[in-house]
Order: sequence, then C-alpha cells, then structure tokens
Amino acid sequence: MAITYLEAIREAQAKLLAEDSRVFIYGQDVGGFGGAFKATKGLAQEFPGRVLDSPISEDAQMGVAIGAALEGMRPIVEMQFADFSTCGLTQIVNHAATMFWRTNTPCPIVVRLPSGGTAGGGPFHSQSMEALYAHYPGLIVMTPATVEDAYTMLLEAVAIDDPVIFCEHKYLYYHLKADALPTVALPAGKARIARQGRDATIVTYSAMVHESIACAEELATEGWEVEVVDLRSVKPMDTDTILASVARTGRLLAVGEAFPWGGVTAEIITRVATEAFHLLDAPPMRLNAKDTPVPYHPNLWGTHRPTARAIAAAMRTLLHT
Amino acid sequence: MPRIPLIMPQLGESIAEATIVNLPFKVGDEVEADQDVIEVETNKATLGVTTPCRGKIIEFLVEPQQSYPVGYVLGYLEVSEEDAVRVGANGGTVVETNADTQGYDAPSSRTILPTIHGLPVPAHLGGGGYISPRMKARMNELGLQAADLAGVAGSGAGGRVTIEDLEGFLSRLDEHKQTSASPMRIAVADAMRRSWTRPLATVGRPVLLDMLLNHRRKQTIKPGPTLYAVRALAIALSETSAPAGRLIGGKIVHPKAVDVGFAVEAEDGVLVPVLRNAGAAPMAELLPRYDELVELARQRRLPPSAQGGSIATVTNFGTFGLTWATPIPLPEQTLLLGLGAGKVMPSWDKEKEAFVPVTEAGLTLAFDHRVLDGGAAGRLLARVAELLQSPEKL
Amino acid sequence: MSQSAPATVEAGITDFKTRYLATYRWMLLARVFEEKLASLYRGGKITGGVFLGKGQEALSASIGVNLRDRDIFAPLIRDMAGRLAFKDTLLDAARTYFGSRLGPMQGRDGNIHRGRPKDGYYAMISHLGVMLSTVAGGLMARRFRGEKGVVGATCIGDGGTSTGSFHEGLNMAAVEKLPLVVIVANNQYAYSTPNNRQYACDDLIQRAVGYGVKGYKIDGTNPRACLETLTEAVETARDGGGPQLVVADLLRLVGHGEHDDAHYVNHALKISPIGRDCLEVAKEQILAEGWANETQLASWREQSQADSDEACMSALRDPQPDPRREKWCALSNEAFSEGMYNDT
Repeated sequence: MAITYLEAIREAQAKLLAEDSRVFIYGQDVGGFGGAFKATKGLAQEFPGRVLDSPISEDAQMGVAIGAALEGMRPIVEMQFADFSTCGLTQIVNHAATMFWRTNTPCPIVVRLPSGGTAGGGPFHSQSMEALYAHYPGLIVMTPATVEDAYTMLLEAVAIDDPVIFCEHKYLYYHLKADALPTVALPAGKARIARQGRDATIVTYSAMVHESIACAEELATEGWEVEVVDLRSVKPMDTDTILASVARTGRLLAVGEAFPWGGVTAEIITRVATEAFHLLDAPPMRLNAKDTPVPYHPNLWGTHRPTARAIAAAMRTLLHT
Repeated sequence: MPRIPLIMPQLGESIAEATIVNLPFKVGDEVEADQDVIEVETNKATLGVTTPCRGKIIEFLVEPQQSYPVGYVLGYLEVSEEDAVRVGANGGTVVETNADTQGYDAPSSRTILPTIHGLPVPAHLGGGGYISPRMKARMNELGLQAADLAGVAGSGAGGRVTIEDLEGFLSRLDEHKQTSASPMRIAVADAMRRSWTRPLATVGRPVLLDMLLNHRRKQTIKPGPTLYAVRALAIALSETSAPAGRLIGGKIVHPKAVDVGFAVEAEDGVLVPVLRNAGAAPMAELLPRYDELVELARQRRLPPSAQGGSIATVTNFGTFGLTWATPIPLPEQTLLLGLGAGKVMPSWDKEKEAFVPVTEAGLTLAFDHRVLDGGAAGRLLARVAELLQSPEKL
Repeated sequence: MSQSAPATVEAGITDFKTRYLATYRWMLLARVFEEKLASLYRGGKITGGVFLGKGQEALSASIGVNLRDRDIFAPLIRDMAGRLAFKDTLLDAARTYFGSRLGPMQGRDGNIHRGRPKDGYYAMISHLGVMLSTVAGGLMARRFRGEKGVVGATCIGDGGTSTGSFHEGLNMAAVEKLPLVVIVANNQYAYSTPNNRQYACDDLIQRAVGYGVKGYKIDGTNPRACLETLTEAVETARDGGGPQLVVADLLRLVGHGEHDDAHYVNHALKISPIGRDCLEVAKEQILAEGWANETQLASWREQSQADSDEACMSALRDPQPDPRREKWCALSNEAFSEGMYNDT
C-alpha cells in the first residue's frame, strides 16, 4: 500500500499529537478543513483542541508559537505557502532565531513551509526559501526529498530544541510515493548518497534530487556514472559527505531550485572551493532557477528551474572539461 | 465525424490524480458545451469534468472508483467539424495519448541523444598545459613533475591531462619492471629539467689535435686532454667574459672569477669539479690539482668547496667514442664546451698538393641562446681552437 | 534584594492604601535608578542606547503590582517600574546596561531587551508589536495545560499600535478570548512623531470596539486612577473576560533616548495637565490622604538612591564578556552548529 510524501507528513503529525501532549498545530485552514494540501486532514477531529485555525496573520502565528514554546509546548506552524512566510519574517528571524542566544532559553518551534514550484503556481506560490532562513544564525533548515525523510525528519524537527524551518516540496506531496514508512533514519544534519557514482558529483536537495537522479540515469546510458548527494538538511549542511564525494569524483555540480544569487548552491561551492580545492579536477559548476520571479505559464516555468534535461546538459559540459 | 478527447484536468496545486466517482451519462448521450459529464474526487473536493463543446459521447476509457492521473484521456466526444476546428483537433490540450502521462517513478524511456565530443574549451582552462588543483595535489604526492607527464595523452578539454588520464598512465606503468632511481639520478634529472627551460643551441667546428698530442708526449706527467680544453677556455674567457654571463631579468650578470668546471663520470651520474682561477695559472701548475679532483670525483668524495661556482664547463665526450654531441649546460651556466674523439683523416695540404693525415676532433659549444648568438659562439670557439692548436701557450 | 522593594501585594487581599504605597515605592525606585543610569550614560559608562520611562512610572508600576507569580509579562521600553514590580531586579537591570557577563543577557543583548523568559518575564525585541502574539501564545500554552487564573500583560506605546504585528496579535488574542491585558502608554510622541501623524482616529481607545475587546481610558499621570483601572482590567481578564485594552494618556518627560533632546515636543503639552509628573501627583495624593509624611517620603528616596548606587557599583565591577570564551553558537543544540565559522 503506497504512501505519499504528503501522507507521510500527516502520519508524522498524527503520531506527534498522539504521543506528545506538548505538540499542537496552528495555521490557516488546518482545522476542520484539514489544510490547503490536506496535511492535517482528520487531525482536528482526532485530536480536538490541538489543531487550531488561525486568522490570516503569519506574524501572529509565529508569535503564538514562540510564546507557547517559551512555556514548554512544541508548536508546529503550518504556513499555507512558503512564499507567505515573509509576512512572519520578523518573528522568525529576529525573535525565534535570536531567543536562545539572547536569553539562554531555547525556542523549540517547527515552521512547515510548502515550498517549490508546480505548473501554474506563479511567483507567489512557488518559492524556495531555504537560503533566506539558513542565512540567519539560530535556525535549522530541513529540506526532505523522500517520503521517508518527510516522515522521520518532521518527527526529529519537533524533538529538536531549536527553531526548525521545515521546507516540504509541494510537487512531491502527491507525486512521490513509497511502499511503507521507515523505522530507522539518518539524523538531521547528515546527507545521503542517493545514487553512487564515479565520474562526477551532484549535490542537491528536495525535488531536485529526483531530477538529478533522472539525469544520472540518462548519462549512465552514455557510460558516465554520476553520484547524487541529497543534503536532506541545508543547515546544518553535511560538508564532510560532500567533500568525501568530491574526493571520489573530482567534479562537482551543485543544483538547486531556488534563485541563483547567494543560494544553497553558492554555499556548497564555497565550502568545496575553500576546503577541498585540491580535490577538484575541473572548475565547480552550479545550476539554479533563473534570476527572475517564478513564471506562471508552464512553458516558461518549465525552463525557469532546472530539469533533468538541463542538469544533464550542464553535466556533459562538466564531464568534458 | 471528428472526435475530441476528454482530459483529466489539474484540479488544484500539487494534485496528481483524481478518482472517478460518477458517470452520469452513457455512451451515445448527446451533451451540451460546458456540461459536467464526469464526476471526479481529489483530496480536496469533488468536481466535474466539463465538455469543451457540444457533442455525443462515443467512448469512456475509465471505470468508476478508479484513480487516473492528470492528463489522462477519460473518453471521447464526437463533435461537428466547426467545433473540432474551434477547440482544436486534440480537444484544446497538448496531451493526446495515455502513454505520455507517466508518474514520477516511471522508468525513463526517452530517446537519448548521442554524446557530443569536443565541446568548446573554456578560456580559463588554458588548454593542454592546464593542471587542475587535484592533479597538482596528486603529482605532489607522488613526486611527479610536469615533465614526467610529457608522455601522457590528455583527454580533457583542449587536450589537458585529467586525473583519470594520470591514474590510467600510472597503472599502466605498473605493468613494467621498475627500479629505484638513485638520488644522483634524480638530482641530475632535476638539473637538466631546469636547464632545459632555456632556449639552448649548439655550434661546432673541427680542431686539429696533432699539436696537442705532440705536446703531451713530451710531458713527464701527461695532462688529460680535458685539462688542455679547460685551460684554453679559461684563457679565452679571461680575454672576454661576456659569453659566460647570465641573463637575469633585463641584465647580463658577468662572472666574478674564471672558475671552470669539467665533467667527470661517476657511478650513475656526472660530477663537475671546478678549477678555480683557471685563467691565471699555466697548465703545469694546474695539473696536480686537476688529477686530484678527477680522482676524488671518481670516488665520489669531492668536497663541496671543489664543486659549484664555475662559470663554464668542459666535457670530453670523446672518451666515450663520440664525435659530436649536443650536451645541456648546467642550469646555472651559459656555456658547455665539448671535445669529441679524435680521428685520423686526410686533409688537403695546398702547398704539398696532396692529402696529408691529420688528427681531427669535433669541438662544440652548447650555449644559452638568450645570452649569445651564433657569431659570438663561433668566435669563442675559434679562439679556443686556436689555443688548443698552440698548446705551448696554455 | 533591595530594601526599598516591597512585597508583591494582591488585589482582594491587601487594602488599597498598602497597594498604593507599594506601587509608589516601585515608581520612586524606578525613577531614582533611571536618574542614576542617565548620569552614568553621560559619564561614558554605558555603551549603546539608554531609554528611560520618566512620566510613565505610575502606569507601569500599576500593571506590575497586579501580576502574580504565575502570570506572564512582556514589558516594553519605558517599563522600569513595572519590571521591578514583577520580577526584575536592580542588579539584573544594571548588569544588562553595562553588558556584564553575569547578567541575564550575558552581554549578548542590552538595556531594555532584558528578561527571564523561563520565569514568565519575556524579553522584548526591537520590532514593536510582536510581543502581543508572543504573550498570547504563552497564554495558550497555559490553557493547553489546564492552568487557570493566569493573566498575560504587555505594554506598548502609541507608535507601536500602528504596526501590523500589534493588529495581528490583538486580533487573534480576541478570537481566542485570551486573558491578555494590553497597556498602551500614549505618551504623545513616537520618537519625534506626534500622534496626529501616527493615527487618524480621535482616540486609540476607539480601537477596542474594532477588535471586540473591553477598553479602558485613563489619565496616566494619576497614580490612583492607574492603580484602580489596572486592577479592574487584570481581574476582569483573570475571570475570563478576554483581552483588555487599556489606553493611558500621559507625556514622555524625557527624550526618545538619552541621546535625544526632544526639542520637538510641543511646549503647550509640557505645561498642560498631561505634562504633570506622576511622582509629584503621587506625592500630593499620599500627603492628602495622610498615608505618609515628607520625612518618610524623603527617607524612601534616600533608600532608593542607596539601593541604586549599590546595584550600579556592583555591576560596574563585573567581568565583561570575553570574545575568546564566547561559544559563538546560536543553537541550544551544539551538535547542529557548524563550527567552521567559529575559528578565531
């Protein structure tokens, strides 16, 4: 019986609500309606008073979470779209992220962001915000790419005493399925070798992991074996695994769905260039979305962000350099 | 009459499929435009699939209670010609067959384009001479120099040697017998490599050895021919030292003293003892020291004070039977004088109008062409030959 | 603990006179301590901003004395009196101003950003309005736990009510019917911005209707009115009356910060009733009621001075933060911190 990425997130929340009385969920339309993406479907009914509808007030949603966390709760805030989290940016980066460092009191909140693009989503329903939050000290940023990680990393996020920005990918919600929920998991902060390779390394995260694997399969028919590293969490970033992979292959392509300037891919390449320059047999490359807002029309959207075909083209250049 | 497909629409973001809950019409029913003809349920809501125009339902390809992905063809409508044109022959959507609507986990069955070799070389890579950081690190680790890789074909952009090329080259080396190179060998290799970075040239001319051989026969202790050459070169350089200068930056750095070295073959290598101030003392005075140095060199007991600091070197490759050669000057020197093996040969004597036997040898000068040209080299060589042919002056 | 700090006095248990005098003692201590801070600032002993609450002591102390140990308080910039009445100490305040390593903020944040969240004494951040929803969240947590009779209070100024955060916080607290008391100190100026450039309604109290909450309007210069009204507001909230919005009119009697001379303040306001010093009014009220005489008032002031001096002198001798001993880790869980950026 297949379980989708979205169902895994719902199962994780159900488990948390059942086993930890400190957990509650707060967000727009999460109660009776079950959430815009149905991530909390049935949970308000199953756990009365624990899954609450908020007004359209991302700032206040975050403030509530912070205050509740100070009092010992473990709140989960569902933002309806990652793109709207900027309305609560002040509370996230200036309040929650600074709380422990300033007051020595931990702030154990989880903010779930439905992230990434789908056809027709347009500029305000498609963004990937991980670089923005990773930039601020005091936050942990998770980007699960698999059904299994969506489940176990959400459980871990709630257990962590610090604020976690949990970037779920909207496209993966219903398009990604697994056979069963896992019983073991890599801890957050560890990257996963999604595909072993020999000739080059792709370091990426979230939906781009699947695009990269598809690219690797295409290149395999041409005799290349490409290694794909799934970061799983963008901050902390598992630099050791990245360097070990580059040590094996000598070539690096960093791929991300987000905007290019100063993004996760820039951080990956900076770390490799500064700590493992001597491992590179070719200049490192990166591939991101274009430096424009996310377009609406599927024709434009299809080219705006990296696809398996685009990643393969970049790869061929890297392999022949 | 034309037929158009009814397609499963995208009923919300991130929705991938929907379930058929009701088929209120049968095959053969006439329907209007924008009419709900199939009821489907997604995770969020129950909605209807509408007709793009009026027509007759002629086929359903779906069953109730089954789920189908977005883009799937649910059935077909028979429509009028005008309607078909108006909505587009494919019902106004790009998807036509059900073969294209694969999910994320379907195996890729795309056509693979052939690989393109010889992609443009990025300007910053510097072509065949580029050594990547990884290459440098590996070469460092193995003690390799760029010269060691001269025989490696590069498969990277612009013909550069990649790490795979290097590792392949090294593993093929393992198929050969390998012995350790002695420290002497490695030191000479390094010196020659460094010397070779300069543009070197060699000029040569014949020299008659008869006078020298006669002179030598009359000596009680016979000086080696090399010493004659050292003394001749030293006198010539005392007269003009410029040819022995070095080009450093934009300056010719002149020699301080006329110290001349000479090559002595030692085990697995060459040593170069030095006769200091060889231009100041006659050969007889230099002889004891010369013999001493030769012996020390052969035993490899040459003290540091007797090596280095010479401004030019003499090599007598005639002792190996060679008649000519293009030896490589020491990396810190501009000149290398070479003396080949003497051979008796006929020479036309104009006065006697007959061939007379002479002992002739090749005299060569290898030099750093940045410091002097053929003319200066030729003049120096002429002077040395002249002196060698008047051994009483040495 | 300083001698001039009276024990907390509960409404319904203690008589009004005792409560009033306790409130006055907090007002006086706050005033004297802040005068000391201003002097130290001008003496170059304090780095960064110094923001005083002169003119607002009556209002602030009045909320502080009405809060109990299990209540939640998120004070703002000019609430020295209220903080002391709740859980703040002169030593904590002095240490924070001097950036002492031993203070509650350990030198990582300063002046009025201090707090002890684990004790329900929340630490403000500079972005105004965010504390409303934060206190609301704290109250929701107490409600989840089944804790009854808890009140949360937060103070804000006229300027802060313009922010979206204020709106969102008060709105959702009203929707959730939380026992949140919002005290708006309308001191007529937000830095240099007068009220007529801050809002367009006649009076901020009109907003109570808009949010669906109970509203109270008071003369912030009148300590008696402050104490009576805040007592009623807090008890109403405690009894389940939902959010209470208290708006007090008074005048900021100092610059925005000690770096500001407030030359823009309308002189007419200064000489009008709104410009009265609440400590002077308190003195009049105390003497009129015969609750204390001049000698006692003077001795209370002396005591406050002694306590303030002692706290400041002690804190000035404290060790300062050492950048080499700082952990430079913003996460409570060090396993997730990326040490590579911390090499010196």
